[in-house]
Amino acid sequence: MIGFFRDIFFRSFKKHETEVHKLNYLFWECTSRCNLNCLHCGSDCSKDSSIADMPLADFLSALDTIPEKPGKITVVLTGGEPLLRADIEQCGREIRKRGMRWSMVSNGYLYDQQKHIALLNAGMGALTFSLDGMEASHNWLRNAKNSFSKVSAAIDLAVSTQRLNFDVVTCVNHRNLEELPAIYDYLIAKGVKAWRLFTIVPIGRAKENPDLFLTDAQFRQLMDFISEKRLLKTIDLKFSCEGYVGNYETKVRDTGFFCRAGINIGSILIDGSISACPNIDRTFAQGNIYRDNFYEIWQNGYQVFRDRSWTKTGQCETCRDYRDCGGNGMHYWHGNKANVLVCHRDKTTLSGKIACPKN
Amino acid sequence: MTRNWKRNLIGGLSFTTMLFVFQACYGTPQDIGYDTLVEGKVKSKTTGLPIKGIKVFPTNGLQHQYTGEDGNFSFYCNTPGDVMLRFEDADSTQNGSYLPKDTLLTNLKDTIFIEVALEDK
Repeated sequence: MIGFFRDIFFRSFKKHETEVHKLNYLFWECTSRCNLNCLHCGSDCSKDSSIADMPLADFLSALDTIPEKPGKITVVLTGGEPLLRADIEQCGREIRKRGMRWSMVSNGYLYDQQKHIALLNAGMGALTFSLDGMEASHNWLRNAKNSFSKVSAAIDLAVSTQRLNFDVVTCVNHRNLEELPAIYDYLIAKGVKAWRLFTIVPIGRAKENPDLFLTDAQFRQLMDFISEKRLLKTIDLKFSCEGYVGNYETKVRDTGFFCRAGINIGSILIDGSISACPNIDRTFAQGNIYRDNFYEIWQNGYQVFRDRSWTKTGQCETCRDYRDCGGNGMHYWHGNKANVLVCHRDKTTLSGKIACPKN
Repeated sequence: MTRNWKRNLIGGLSFTTMLFVFQACYGTPQDIGYDTLVEGKVKSKTTGLPIKGIKVFPTNGLQHQYTGEDGNFSFYCNTPGDVMLRFEDADSTQNGSYLPKDTLLTNLKDTIFIEVALEDK
Protein backbone atom coordinates (compact mmCIF):
# COMPACT_ATOMS: atom_id res chain seq x y z
CA MET A 1 0.00 0.00 0.00
CA ILE A 2 2.85 2.38 0.94
CA GLY A 3 4.54 1.53 -2.34
CA PHE A 4 1.37 2.36 -4.29
CA PHE A 5 1.09 5.83 -2.78
CA ARG A 6 4.85 6.36 -2.98
CA ASP A 7 4.74 5.70 -6.71
CA ILE A 8 1.86 8.11 -7.23
CA PHE A 9 3.56 10.88 -5.32
CA PHE A 10 6.89 10.22 -6.99
CA ARG A 11 5.25 10.60 -10.40
CA SER A 12 3.74 13.90 -9.24
CA PHE A 13 7.10 14.98 -7.91
CA LYS A 14 8.79 14.26 -11.24
CA LYS A 15 6.09 16.12 -13.12
CA HIS A 16 6.45 19.12 -10.85
CA GLU A 17 10.25 19.08 -11.03
CA THR A 18 9.98 19.06 -14.80
CA GLU A 19 7.65 22.08 -14.78
CA VAL A 20 9.90 24.04 -12.43
CA HIS A 21 13.15 22.81 -14.11
CA LYS A 22 15.47 24.41 -11.59
CA LEU A 23 19.10 24.23 -12.61
CA ASN A 24 20.97 22.44 -9.81
CA TYR A 25 23.73 20.62 -11.61
CA LEU A 26 25.87 21.90 -14.44
CA PHE A 27 28.47 19.83 -16.23
CA TRP A 28 31.39 21.66 -17.75
CA GLU A 29 33.30 19.61 -20.29
CA CYS A 30 36.40 21.69 -19.68
CA THR A 31 38.75 19.58 -21.81
CA SER A 32 38.56 16.69 -24.22
CA ARG A 33 42.19 15.76 -23.62
CA CYS A 34 42.80 12.62 -21.62
CA ASN A 35 45.88 10.93 -20.21
CA LEU A 36 44.35 7.45 -20.52
CA ASN A 37 42.92 5.54 -23.45
CA CYS A 38 40.10 3.59 -21.82
CA LEU A 39 38.47 0.79 -23.74
CA HIS A 40 34.98 1.94 -22.76
CA CYS A 41 35.34 5.68 -23.36
CA GLY A 42 32.06 7.14 -24.54
CA SER A 43 33.72 10.31 -25.70
CA ASP A 44 36.53 8.85 -27.79
CA CYS A 45 38.91 11.08 -25.82
CA SER A 46 42.59 10.98 -26.59
CA LYS A 47 45.88 12.44 -25.38
CA ASP A 48 46.23 14.66 -28.41
CA SER A 49 42.77 16.05 -28.83
CA SER A 50 42.53 18.43 -31.72
CA ILE A 51 39.96 20.43 -29.80
CA ALA A 52 41.45 23.06 -27.53
CA ASP A 53 40.34 23.35 -23.92
CA MET A 54 37.57 25.87 -23.43
CA PRO A 55 39.04 29.11 -22.07
CA LEU A 56 37.89 29.77 -18.52
CA ALA A 57 36.67 33.25 -19.46
CA ASP A 58 34.28 31.78 -22.03
CA PHE A 59 32.75 29.44 -19.49
CA LEU A 60 32.46 32.21 -16.90
CA SER A 61 30.63 34.41 -19.41
CA ALA A 62 28.03 31.69 -19.70
CA LEU A 63 27.80 31.29 -15.90
CA ASP A 64 27.32 35.02 -15.54
CA THR A 65 24.08 34.83 -17.51
CA ILE A 66 22.48 33.09 -14.53
CA PRO A 67 20.62 35.97 -12.87
CA GLU A 68 20.20 34.54 -9.40
CA LYS A 69 23.28 33.85 -7.36
CA PRO A 70 22.25 30.42 -6.20
CA GLY A 71 24.15 28.45 -3.59
CA LYS A 72 22.66 25.23 -4.78
CA ILE A 73 24.26 24.81 -8.18
CA THR A 74 27.13 22.35 -8.34
CA VAL A 75 29.38 22.79 -11.37
CA VAL A 76 30.86 19.41 -12.26
CA LEU A 77 34.19 19.58 -14.07
CA THR A 78 34.48 16.72 -16.48
CA GLY A 79 36.31 15.84 -19.67
CA GLY A 80 38.47 14.24 -20.88
CA GLU A 81 40.52 14.42 -17.72
CA PRO A 82 40.00 17.74 -15.91
CA LEU A 83 43.34 17.46 -14.09
CA LEU A 84 45.13 18.04 -17.41
CA ARG A 85 44.06 21.67 -17.21
CA ALA A 86 46.82 23.74 -15.67
CA ASP A 87 44.32 26.34 -14.45
CA ILE A 88 41.91 23.99 -12.69
CA GLU A 89 42.32 25.64 -9.29
CA GLN A 90 41.62 29.03 -10.81
CA CYS A 91 38.55 27.56 -12.50
CA GLY A 92 37.32 26.34 -9.12
CA ARG A 93 37.94 29.63 -7.37
CA GLU A 94 36.11 31.62 -10.05
CA ILE A 95 33.12 29.28 -9.79
CA ARG A 96 33.06 29.74 -6.00
CA LYS A 97 33.29 33.53 -6.40
CA ARG A 98 29.99 33.31 -8.26
CA GLY A 99 28.28 31.62 -5.31
CA MET A 100 28.29 28.14 -6.80
CA ARG A 101 29.94 24.93 -5.68
CA TRP A 102 32.18 22.76 -7.77
CA SER A 103 33.24 19.16 -8.07
CA MET A 104 35.20 16.94 -10.40
CA VAL A 105 35.08 13.55 -12.11
CA SER A 106 38.57 12.14 -12.55
CA ASN A 107 40.41 8.94 -13.35
CA GLY A 108 42.70 9.79 -10.40
CA TYR A 109 45.91 9.18 -12.34
CA LEU A 110 47.35 12.65 -11.69
CA TYR A 111 45.79 13.12 -8.29
CA ASP A 112 48.58 13.37 -5.72
CA GLN A 113 48.77 15.05 -2.32
CA GLN A 114 49.89 18.38 -3.73
CA LYS A 115 46.97 18.47 -6.16
CA HIS A 116 44.57 17.31 -3.46
CA ILE A 117 45.53 20.19 -1.19
CA ALA A 118 45.44 22.75 -4.00
CA LEU A 119 41.94 21.67 -5.05
CA LEU A 120 40.62 21.73 -1.49
CA ASN A 121 42.13 25.20 -1.07
CA ALA A 122 40.21 26.21 -4.21
CA GLY A 123 36.92 25.09 -2.69
CA MET A 124 36.31 21.71 -4.29
CA GLY A 125 33.50 20.04 -2.36
CA ALA A 126 32.75 16.78 -4.14
CA LEU A 127 34.77 14.27 -6.09
CA THR A 128 34.34 11.03 -7.99
CA PHE A 129 37.03 8.56 -8.99
CA SER A 130 36.60 5.62 -11.31
CA LEU A 131 37.72 2.22 -10.10
CA ASP A 132 36.82 -0.46 -12.60
CA GLY A 133 37.96 -3.61 -10.89
CA MET A 134 40.82 -5.07 -8.93
CA GLU A 135 44.28 -4.43 -10.32
CA ALA A 136 44.32 -6.51 -13.51
CA SER A 137 40.75 -5.70 -14.55
CA HIS A 138 41.09 -2.00 -13.82
CA ASN A 139 44.36 -1.70 -15.71
CA TRP A 140 42.86 -3.64 -18.62
CA LEU A 141 39.83 -1.38 -18.97
CA ARG A 142 41.86 1.76 -18.36
CA ASN A 143 44.50 0.55 -20.80
CA ALA A 144 47.35 1.61 -18.50
CA LYS A 145 49.42 -0.75 -16.40
CA ASN A 146 49.76 1.37 -13.27
CA SER A 147 46.40 3.10 -13.27
CA PHE A 148 45.11 0.94 -10.39
CA SER A 149 47.92 1.93 -8.03
CA LYS A 150 47.44 5.58 -8.99
CA VAL A 151 43.72 5.67 -8.34
CA SER A 152 44.13 3.60 -5.19
CA ALA A 153 46.47 6.24 -3.75
CA ALA A 154 44.07 8.97 -4.88
CA ILE A 155 41.19 7.26 -3.07
CA ASP A 156 43.24 7.24 0.15
CA LEU A 157 43.65 11.00 -0.12
CA ALA A 158 39.97 11.59 -0.81
CA VAL A 159 38.72 9.50 2.12
CA SER A 160 41.12 11.27 4.46
CA THR A 161 39.22 14.53 3.97
CA GLN A 162 35.91 14.93 5.74
CA ARG A 163 35.03 17.99 3.69
CA LEU A 164 34.68 16.07 0.43
CA ASN A 165 31.45 14.43 -0.64
CA PHE A 166 33.29 11.62 -2.32
CA ASP A 167 32.30 8.46 -4.12
CA VAL A 168 33.79 5.75 -6.31
CA VAL A 169 32.16 4.62 -9.54
CA THR A 170 32.65 1.31 -11.25
CA CYS A 171 31.75 0.42 -14.83
CA VAL A 172 30.54 -3.14 -14.50
CA ASN A 173 31.49 -5.40 -17.38
CA HIS A 174 32.13 -9.05 -18.24
CA ARG A 175 35.54 -9.07 -16.66
CA ASN A 176 34.88 -7.41 -13.32
CA LEU A 177 31.39 -8.72 -12.54
CA GLU A 178 32.70 -11.63 -10.48
CA GLU A 179 35.11 -9.27 -8.72
CA LEU A 180 32.39 -7.09 -7.25
CA PRO A 181 32.55 -8.75 -3.80
CA ALA A 182 36.32 -8.23 -3.76
CA ILE A 183 35.97 -4.58 -4.80
CA TYR A 184 33.30 -4.16 -2.13
CA ASP A 185 35.67 -5.45 0.57
CA TYR A 186 38.53 -3.40 -0.82
CA LEU A 187 36.59 -0.14 -0.74
CA ILE A 188 35.26 -0.73 2.75
CA ALA A 189 38.78 -1.49 3.97
CA LYS A 190 39.91 1.81 2.49
CA GLY A 191 37.14 3.70 4.27
CA VAL A 192 35.12 4.63 1.18
CA LYS A 193 31.59 5.66 2.17
CA ALA A 194 29.81 5.62 -1.20
CA TRP A 195 30.08 3.36 -4.24
CA ARG A 196 28.07 3.71 -7.44
CA LEU A 197 27.84 1.06 -10.11
CA PHE A 198 26.85 1.48 -13.71
CA THR A 199 27.08 -0.38 -16.95
CA ILE A 200 28.72 0.67 -20.16
CA VAL A 201 26.78 2.51 -22.83
CA PRO A 202 27.34 1.17 -26.36
CA ILE A 203 28.55 4.48 -27.76
CA GLY A 204 31.94 5.97 -28.65
CA ARG A 205 34.90 3.59 -28.46
CA ALA A 206 32.89 1.12 -26.36
CA LYS A 207 30.47 0.07 -29.06
CA GLU A 208 33.27 -1.68 -30.94
CA ASN A 209 33.94 -4.00 -28.00
CA PRO A 210 31.07 -6.40 -27.21
CA ASP A 211 33.08 -7.93 -24.33
CA LEU A 212 32.29 -4.84 -22.32
CA PHE A 213 28.57 -5.47 -22.10
CA LEU A 214 26.66 -7.65 -19.67
CA THR A 215 24.24 -10.34 -20.75
CA ASP A 216 20.73 -10.10 -19.32
CA ALA A 217 21.56 -12.81 -16.77
CA GLN A 218 24.69 -10.94 -15.74
CA PHE A 219 22.72 -7.74 -15.41
CA ARG A 220 20.31 -9.47 -13.02
CA GLN A 221 23.32 -10.78 -11.12
CA LEU A 222 24.47 -7.17 -10.76
CA MET A 223 21.05 -6.07 -9.51
CA ASP A 224 21.00 -8.93 -6.99
CA PHE A 225 24.46 -8.02 -5.77
CA ILE A 226 23.47 -4.40 -5.19
CA SER A 227 20.17 -5.37 -3.53
CA GLU A 228 21.83 -7.78 -1.12
CA LYS A 229 24.71 -5.50 -0.15
CA ARG A 230 22.44 -2.49 0.35
CA LEU A 231 20.64 -4.40 3.08
CA LEU A 232 23.91 -4.55 5.04
CA LYS A 233 24.25 -0.73 5.01
CA THR A 234 28.04 -1.03 5.26
CA ILE A 235 28.62 1.34 2.36
CA ASP A 236 26.26 3.62 0.46
CA LEU A 237 26.04 1.35 -2.56
CA LYS A 238 23.71 2.16 -5.40
CA PHE A 239 23.02 1.60 -9.06
CA SER A 240 23.44 4.82 -10.99
CA CYS A 241 20.44 6.61 -12.44
CA GLU A 242 21.32 5.37 -15.92
CA GLY A 243 18.09 3.46 -16.45
CA TYR A 244 14.80 2.16 -15.14
CA VAL A 245 15.18 -1.31 -13.64
CA GLY A 246 11.58 -2.49 -13.05
CA ASN A 247 11.09 -4.50 -9.89
CA TYR A 248 14.57 -3.68 -8.68
CA GLU A 249 13.79 0.05 -8.53
CA THR A 250 13.26 0.23 -4.78
CA LYS A 251 16.10 -2.17 -4.05
CA VAL A 252 19.08 -0.67 -5.84
CA ARG A 253 18.73 3.08 -5.21
CA ASP A 254 17.51 5.55 -2.61
CA THR A 255 14.92 6.98 -4.98
CA GLY A 256 13.06 5.78 -8.04
CA PHE A 257 14.39 6.32 -11.53
CA PHE A 258 14.26 9.91 -12.69
CA CYS A 259 16.40 11.06 -15.59
CA ARG A 260 16.92 14.73 -14.73
CA ALA A 261 18.83 15.60 -17.89
CA GLY A 262 17.56 19.00 -19.05
CA ILE A 263 15.28 19.18 -16.00
CA ASN A 264 17.81 19.88 -13.27
CA ILE A 265 20.98 18.98 -15.16
CA GLY A 266 22.56 21.15 -17.82
CA SER A 267 25.94 21.18 -19.50
CA ILE A 268 28.35 23.32 -21.40
CA LEU A 269 30.33 21.09 -23.71
CA ILE A 270 33.82 21.52 -25.07
CA ASP A 271 32.69 23.32 -28.23
CA GLY A 272 30.31 25.60 -26.33
CA SER A 273 27.23 23.49 -26.99
CA ILE A 274 24.50 23.82 -24.39
CA SER A 275 23.06 20.46 -23.47
CA ALA A 276 22.53 18.13 -20.50
CA CYS A 277 24.73 15.16 -19.51
CA PRO A 278 27.85 15.01 -21.71
CA ASN A 279 27.16 11.43 -22.80
CA ILE A 280 23.86 12.41 -24.42
CA ASP A 281 23.75 12.44 -28.21
CA ARG A 282 25.14 15.80 -29.26
CA THR A 283 22.35 16.37 -31.73
CA PHE A 284 20.22 17.22 -28.68
CA ALA A 285 22.25 20.41 -28.11
CA GLN A 286 19.97 23.36 -27.41
CA GLY A 287 22.30 26.16 -28.40
CA ASN A 288 25.86 27.36 -28.03
CA ILE A 289 27.36 29.76 -25.52
CA TYR A 290 29.28 31.49 -28.34
CA ARG A 291 26.06 32.74 -29.86
CA ASP A 292 23.30 32.25 -27.27
CA ASN A 293 22.54 33.39 -23.73
CA PHE A 294 23.02 30.25 -21.65
CA TYR A 295 20.36 30.95 -19.07
CA GLU A 296 17.76 32.02 -21.61
CA ILE A 297 18.29 28.69 -23.32
CA TRP A 298 18.00 26.89 -19.99
CA GLN A 299 14.74 28.65 -19.21
CA ASN A 300 13.12 28.52 -22.62
CA GLY A 301 14.73 25.65 -24.51
CA TYR A 302 15.15 22.00 -23.58
CA GLN A 303 11.61 21.05 -24.65
CA VAL A 304 12.86 17.73 -26.02
CA PHE A 305 14.16 16.92 -22.51
CA ARG A 306 11.12 18.17 -20.62
CA ASP A 307 8.47 16.60 -22.80
CA ARG A 308 9.65 13.09 -23.55
CA SER A 309 6.48 11.85 -25.17
CA TRP A 310 8.52 11.47 -28.37
CA THR A 311 10.28 8.50 -26.72
CA LYS A 312 7.07 6.49 -26.73
CA THR A 313 8.19 4.74 -29.84
CA GLY A 314 9.90 1.51 -30.75
CA GLN A 315 9.84 -0.95 -27.88
CA CYS A 316 8.77 1.78 -25.46
CA GLU A 317 5.50 2.28 -27.34
CA THR A 318 3.71 -0.64 -25.73
CA CYS A 319 5.68 -0.96 -22.50
CA ARG A 320 3.48 -1.10 -19.40
CA ASP A 321 6.16 0.62 -17.31
CA TYR A 322 6.52 3.64 -19.57
CA ARG A 323 4.92 6.10 -17.11
CA ASP A 324 7.61 5.26 -14.52
CA CYS A 325 10.45 4.83 -16.98
CA GLY A 326 9.71 7.62 -19.45
CA GLY A 327 11.91 6.13 -22.17
CA ASN A 328 14.91 5.31 -19.96
CA GLY A 329 17.93 7.65 -19.68
CA MET A 330 18.27 10.31 -22.35
CA HIS A 331 21.74 9.04 -23.19
CA TYR A 332 20.16 5.86 -24.56
CA TRP A 333 18.65 7.77 -27.49
CA HIS A 334 21.18 8.00 -30.27
CA GLY A 335 21.23 7.98 -34.03
CA ASN A 336 17.76 8.10 -35.60
CA LYS A 337 16.08 7.82 -32.17
CA ALA A 338 13.66 5.23 -33.51
CA ASN A 339 14.24 2.97 -30.52
CA VAL A 340 15.91 3.10 -27.15
CA LEU A 341 19.48 1.79 -27.29
CA VAL A 342 19.15 -0.32 -24.11
CA CYS A 343 16.09 -1.27 -22.07
CA HIS A 344 17.24 -2.07 -18.52
CA ARG A 345 13.77 -3.20 -17.53
CA ASP A 346 13.92 -5.73 -20.30
CA LYS A 347 17.15 -7.06 -18.84
CA THR A 348 15.74 -7.44 -15.35
CA THR A 349 12.87 -9.77 -16.17
CA LEU A 350 13.02 -13.16 -17.78
CA SER A 351 9.67 -12.38 -19.39
CA GLY A 352 10.69 -8.84 -20.22
CA LYS A 353 10.53 -9.37 -23.93
CA ILE A 354 6.81 -10.14 -23.64
CA ALA A 355 6.01 -7.19 -21.37
CA CYS A 356 8.28 -4.85 -23.25
CA PRO A 357 8.46 -6.19 -26.80
CA LYS A 358 11.16 -5.22 -29.22
CA ASN A 359 10.13 -4.14 -32.68
CA MET B 1 7.49 30.34 -3.11
CA THR B 2 4.31 28.32 -3.75
CA ARG B 3 6.23 26.10 -6.13
CA ASN B 4 8.96 25.43 -3.58
CA TRP B 5 6.39 24.60 -0.90
CA LYS B 6 4.68 22.18 -3.27
CA ARG B 7 8.08 20.77 -4.24
CA ASN B 8 8.98 19.98 -0.63
CA LEU B 9 5.55 18.55 0.18
CA ILE B 10 5.57 16.20 -2.78
CA GLY B 11 9.13 15.15 -2.05
CA GLY B 12 8.27 14.37 1.57
CA LEU B 13 5.15 12.39 0.74
CA SER B 14 6.99 10.17 -1.69
CA PHE B 15 8.68 8.49 1.29
CA THR B 16 12.07 8.79 -0.31
CA THR B 17 15.11 10.54 1.06
CA MET B 18 17.62 12.78 -0.68
CA LEU B 19 15.16 13.65 -3.47
CA PHE B 20 16.79 16.97 -4.07
CA VAL B 21 20.36 15.81 -3.56
CA PHE B 22 20.55 13.72 -6.70
CA GLN B 23 23.60 13.10 -8.82
CA ALA B 24 23.83 12.64 -12.55
CA CYS B 25 24.61 9.08 -13.54
CA TYR B 26 28.13 9.91 -14.69
CA GLY B 27 28.68 12.91 -12.44
CA THR B 28 29.75 13.47 -8.86
CA PRO B 29 27.68 13.74 -5.72
CA GLN B 30 26.49 17.29 -5.08
CA ASP B 31 28.47 19.44 -2.72
CA ILE B 32 26.32 19.96 0.35
CA GLY B 33 29.13 20.51 2.82
CA TYR B 34 29.99 23.59 4.82
CA ASP B 35 33.11 25.61 4.33
CA THR B 36 34.49 29.09 4.83
CA LEU B 37 36.79 31.11 2.62
CA VAL B 38 39.64 32.08 4.94
CA GLU B 39 41.68 34.99 3.57
CA GLY B 40 44.25 37.17 5.18
CA LYS B 41 47.61 38.83 5.32
CA VAL B 42 50.70 38.03 7.39
CA LYS B 43 52.97 40.90 8.45
CA SER B 44 56.03 41.40 10.59
CA LYS B 45 55.14 42.79 14.02
CA THR B 46 58.41 44.72 13.99
CA THR B 47 58.36 46.32 10.54
CA GLY B 48 54.71 46.03 9.52
CA LEU B 49 55.81 44.66 6.18
CA PRO B 50 54.18 41.61 4.57
CA ILE B 51 56.02 38.31 4.96
CA LYS B 52 56.43 35.82 2.15
CA GLY B 53 56.77 32.06 2.65
CA ILE B 54 54.75 31.63 5.84
CA LYS B 55 52.94 28.30 5.98
CA VAL B 56 49.31 28.82 6.98
CA PHE B 57 47.27 25.77 7.90
CA PRO B 58 44.35 24.46 9.93
CA THR B 59 45.76 22.13 12.57
CA ASN B 60 43.28 19.34 11.83
CA GLY B 61 44.15 18.29 8.29
CA LEU B 62 46.45 18.23 5.29
CA GLN B 63 45.51 21.60 3.88
CA HIS B 64 48.03 24.41 3.91
CA GLN B 65 49.14 27.35 1.87
CA TYR B 66 52.22 29.60 1.74
CA THR B 67 51.91 33.35 1.77
CA GLY B 68 52.94 35.15 -1.40
CA GLU B 69 55.08 38.26 -1.92
CA ASP B 70 52.24 40.41 -0.55
CA GLY B 71 51.88 38.23 2.56
CA ASN B 72 48.42 37.16 1.43
CA PHE B 73 46.81 33.75 1.69
CA SER B 74 43.39 32.40 0.68
CA PHE B 75 41.81 28.99 1.00
CA TYR B 76 38.53 27.24 1.73
CA CYS B 77 38.39 25.56 5.09
CA ASN B 78 36.08 22.84 6.36
CA THR B 79 33.35 24.07 8.76
CA PRO B 80 31.05 24.21 10.77
CA GLY B 81 32.97 24.41 13.98
CA ASP B 82 35.92 26.42 15.13
CA VAL B 83 39.19 26.30 13.23
CA MET B 84 42.61 26.55 14.78
CA LEU B 85 44.89 28.20 12.25
CA ARG B 86 48.66 27.96 12.60
CA PHE B 87 51.27 30.26 11.05
CA GLU B 88 54.77 28.86 10.70
CA ASP B 89 57.93 30.25 9.20
CA ALA B 90 58.65 27.52 6.66
CA ASP B 91 61.59 28.90 4.69
CA SER B 92 64.18 29.18 7.43
CA THR B 93 65.84 32.62 7.30
CA GLN B 94 65.18 33.32 3.63
CA ASN B 95 62.46 35.93 4.34
CA GLY B 96 63.39 36.69 7.90
CA SER B 97 62.88 34.47 10.91
CA TYR B 98 59.60 34.47 12.88
CA LEU B 99 57.99 32.72 15.81
CA PRO B 100 55.00 30.50 15.06
CA LYS B 101 51.52 31.63 16.05
CA ASP B 102 48.12 29.96 16.51
CA THR B 103 44.82 31.76 15.94
CA LEU B 104 41.41 30.31 16.79
CA LEU B 105 38.69 31.23 14.30
CA THR B 106 35.17 31.10 15.74
CA ASN B 107 31.63 31.88 14.57
CA LEU B 108 32.67 31.41 10.97
CA LYS B 109 30.43 32.59 8.15
CA ASP B 110 31.00 32.26 4.40
CA THR B 111 34.13 34.40 4.39
CA ILE B 112 36.58 35.71 6.94
CA PHE B 113 39.59 38.03 6.52
CA ILE B 114 42.29 38.11 9.19
CA GLU B 115 45.52 40.01 9.63
CA VAL B 116 48.28 38.35 11.61
CA ALA B 117 51.50 39.90 12.90
CA LEU B 118 54.40 37.55 13.63
CA GLU B 119 57.12 38.32 16.11
CA ASP B 120 60.77 38.08 15.18
CA LYS B 121 62.52 34.97 16.45
